[in-house]
Amino acid sequence: MEILIALVRILIYPGLLFVAVGGLLLAGIDRILVAKMQRRVGPPLVQPFYDFFKLMGKETIIPHHANRTAYLAAPVIAVVSLAVTMLFIPLGGFSAVSGTADLIVVLYLLTIPAVCVIVGGSASGSPYAGVGISREMVAMMSYELPLVMVLLAVAKKVGSLSLQAIVAYQFQNGCMLFHWSMIPAAIALLLVIPGEAGVQPFDLAEAETEICEGTLAEYSGAPLGMFELNHAMKIFVLTALFTALFLGGIDTGIVPLNVVITFVICGVLVWLCCSLPHAICARLRIERLFKFYWTIVAGLAALSLVLAWFGL
Amino acid sequence: MFNKLIENSTAKSPWLYHMNTGSCNGCDIEIVAALTPHFDAERFGCKLAGTPRHADIILITGPVTEQSKDRLIRTLEQVPEPYVVMAVGSCPNSCNVFKDSYSVAGPLEKYCHVDVSVSGCACKPEAIMLGVVKATEILKEKRRAMKK
Repeated sequence: MEILIALVRILIYPGLLFVAVGGLLLAGIDRILVAKMQRRVGPPLVQPFYDFFKLMGKETIIPHHANRTAYLAAPVIAVVSLAVTMLFIPLGGFSAVSGTADLIVVLYLLTIPAVCVIVGGSASGSPYAGVGISREMVAMMSYELPLVMVLLAVAKKVGSLSLQAIVAYQFQNGCMLFHWSMIPAAIALLLVIPGEAGVQPFDLAEAETEICEGTLAEYSGAPLGMFELNHAMKIFVLTALFTALFLGGIDTGIVPLNVVITFVICGVLVWLCCSLPHAICARLRIERLFKFYWTIVAGLAALSLVLAWFGL
Repeated sequence: MFNKLIENSTAKSPWLYHMNTGSCNGCDIEIVAALTPHFDAERFGCKLAGTPRHADIILITGPVTEQSKDRLIRTLEQVPEPYVVMAVGSCPNSCNVFKDSYSVAGPLEKYCHVDVSVSGCACKPEAIMLGVVKATEILKEKRRAMKK
């Protein structure tokens, strides 16, 4: 029975199916919002589902120079690692797995999808992917530092590295967002989300107009569909993480209602940190991206960390 | 049921790959116009793909020149099945005013099967959109045929 519950948790509710459907819905919401901001009609809400299923039905071409195993395994590992990440994040005050140092596990699990993109891209043996990989590596280095500092600031404030403890702290002392010392960290995390998810101003690794989709240049069919799914899931996982860290204190007493409220907040966050920059910003150059993350965003996160250190 | 889902999705998510085989740039501008907010091809799920590996519909503009002939054949070989070739403008159909030029190796039918052909010099964005919608139906049929 315990195994059955564990399987349901991994495959259906906070795990794979829930994250996939939620992520694709959020990606659809993002595309509609961008369209509205550009005064267009825009695609239907379920457009990402159409894209995903279409790619599942396309022929999968494996290039002659590609390393077959790494090329096919990379997208699957990326999707699995994101589904596992969701097990640690408390949705509506409930997480499937909880330990004493969740935050460190989440941090490592969030790195895996980016590493998978790098591995898959390099396995495809395309020169365009080569350029994409180098950009993805720099981008990863840029947003990892502020992300670590944000997580440390929150952990220092609460005095625990457990996400469950962070949410419990917020139930008692109000949302982390309303503690003034944590506001810079919240802004920093909001700026990290588009970089981590690779949306418009920070999508250098997949710049389709310059380097032909970069890391994904050689991918087609089902593996490409997995990478699209991976992108959508990443948005959901990151916004859910933000909700848990900074807006964890929302409780109506009913778990399904909490989950719905969390999802609505995720939708608002998608508007704020994916659609809005996508609609108003042009793509940055890689050294600008690096400078932006290591000065402004890291500075904001460091400010919160210092304030939390002094017990404010 | 899963098969049916994939078939319907194939018709609703055509990703376009634009290839210029010696066009005068007129039709290229009209294709871009079809993607702008005024005409909004994203209503039908269209997206401009950066590489032929992601494409469902290949838009080809221009009479096929001697220089672009080999590239055209190589590009079409890289597109995963099912895909649709769409000729945009009069040039790929008949070579238009470039007919009998020493540098033109067209028309397009010599090198591949053309599924949809939009005429006009340059063709209207509305006509391109109609062509894309027709192409999605052919795409769906091709997917069905591929399964059998």
